[in-house]
Amino acid sequence: MAHHHVTSKDIAIDGDHLDNSKVAKVKTVSMAIAAIGTVIGLYLLFLAPEATRGKFAYSWLFAFYFYLTLSIGGVFWTLLHNVSNSGWGTSVRRVFENVGSTYGWMFLFGIPLLFPQVQQYLYEWMNTHRAAHGDVKEHLHHADHLLYNKYWFMNRWFWYGRFICYGLGLTLVIYALRKISTAQDTDPNPTTRRLFQARFHSTYTLIIFALTITFTGFDFMMGLDYKWFSTMWGVYLFAGSALNSMAVIILVCAWLQSQGHLKHVTTGEHYHIMGKLLFAFTVFWAYIAFSQFFLIWYANITEETSYFLIRNTGNWNILMITLVFGHFVVPFVILLQAWLKKNPKSLSIMAVYTLFMHVLDHYSISIPERGISLGNIKPEIFGPIQTSLNGAFWGDIFAFVTMGAAFLFFLLRALGQHSLYPNRDPRILESANLTN
Amino acid sequence: MSTTRKRVYGYLAEFKNPSQLYKAAEKVRDAGFKKWDCYSPYPIHGLDGAMGLKRSILPWFVFFGGITGTATAFTLAYTTQVVLYPTVVQGKPANIFTVPAFFPIMFELTILFSGFTVLFGLLALIQLPRLNHPLFASRQFHRATDDGFFIAIEARDHQFSPEKTREMLAEFGGSNIELVEEEE
Repeated sequence: MAHHHVTSKDIAIDGDHLDNSKVAKVKTVSMAIAAIGTVIGLYLLFLAPEATRGKFAYSWLFAFYFYLTLSIGGVFWTLLHNVSNSGWGTSVRRVFENVGSTYGWMFLFGIPLLFPQVQQYLYEWMNTHRAAHGDVKEHLHHADHLLYNKYWFMNRWFWYGRFICYGLGLTLVIYALRKISTAQDTDPNPTTRRLFQARFHSTYTLIIFALTITFTGFDFMMGLDYKWFSTMWGVYLFAGSALNSMAVIILVCAWLQSQGHLKHVTTGEHYHIMGKLLFAFTVFWAYIAFSQFFLIWYANITEETSYFLIRNTGNWNILMITLVFGHFVVPFVILLQAWLKKNPKSLSIMAVYTLFMHVLDHYSISIPERGISLGNIKPEIFGPIQTSLNGAFWGDIFAFVTMGAAFLFFLLRALGQHSLYPNRDPRILESANLTN
Repeated sequence: MSTTRKRVYGYLAEFKNPSQLYKAAEKVRDAGFKKWDCYSPYPIHGLDGAMGLKRSILPWFVFFGGITGTATAFTLAYTTQVVLYPTVVQGKPANIFTVPAFFPIMFELTILFSGFTVLFGLLALIQLPRLNHPLFASRQFHRATDDGFFIAIEARDHQFSPEKTREMLAEFGGSNIELVEEEE
């Protein structure tokens, strides 16, 4: 064997702590960018001229949901690792938890979506509901029968209620699991108690995770066009979410190791497994994305085809073709190599690439709807229905950078709070000596 | 005295447990032997590394087997559905843009051809099926499927020497060292 057998002597008894002074500068800068960006963002959402507000609402939603998928994925990997009784990833599990712990913070960026000033550009069904005087259902009965039928799910109070549930649910789940995990680090008499506790509580909370990824997808994304529906939608978003939070986890692990952390406990074997998961979810994403396209293409139902009609009109077609090759074919062939997955550097390059494709994927999910909806709602301000709106692109980048800085800040903050690996976990030696 | 000579297959040595086998394998590898193998009732993690085995060429066979499957399916579907007898459904095109309809069969044949290449490529590489193996001549070798851990070094190896190899195996902790001769 190349590396020696890791024993308890190699484990940092008081934990492996990130030197907060080393990252203080990055944290300050990212916090400043996030804070200033949020203030400007709120101005663009609520106070700017209407032409800007409408366009920027989509930018905000795009960036919000993009980062939310990364956080949700972190929660998913934590839950999965616990519930599957895994030993391989104990040394990197804390990274899962830290990525997941950004969920509550990143969800706060969704608060503007609660305001009618923002909703009016994104969710046209709410406009129809708000146009009612008196009984909404009676109004819908005459105004739009589709909304009348969907009223049991698509009504504002239920929507607000769900919004609060999404925000609280996974935040509490990851908070509790992380607490169970980190409490072990300083316990002078660590036993298997917390291990089983975490495993037990990860079972039913997986349901909360599944409901969150599915229904945030329905409410925030599918709701952009209330006429459209896809039964593959939840699982499609989940595939991208799990894939890309794994990419983030790989990058964080590789960075921590380059800073001299996770010594002895994380080896090429761990990267190999994480690379295999990256590969598996690349294939899974393609499988689901194609299935969704295929079902809609074959069935040829008017309500369903709109999604792909919009995304294959004009230059959006180039983006969709790019996704087919860039999000699937290229990483599929490259990630087949075993040596590449065992090497943190080459795997990190692939992780960055995958994340870039995830940006394009989510751009194609949220943005093409903008020109259609805005042209439909207020043609006198946004012009007629068109494939894309001039200059709106800068808002997308702006919102993306703002929330990216926030994501980075909250991730670094979480990394600095506790030991970087669960140093007193009963399975840490099993994980450190992993071979696969 | 028999007039025919038996062919020598090589030395067979038994080791007490997996860790002894593992350590001995590392030493045999470092001694530079090429034609030898380990036998154990169950897989031992990392033994391939200890034996210095190179990665199998099989994945490449499978990769090209899979590509052949994809290409076969595409050609089959395209020829029948577009060239020979276009099936127009719901006004969907019958040209290269019909390709989504071909994906399931392309996927299936990729899997099928890959599966075939795995099976038959593996059988070819490990030279199975075969009727007999020279090691079956050894009485103790049957225990390799029960509780015995063995290393066999073949006489074909250019480092093989009747005396030195036996001494070497004994030195590495081998017991019941036996010169296996092929049966008539």
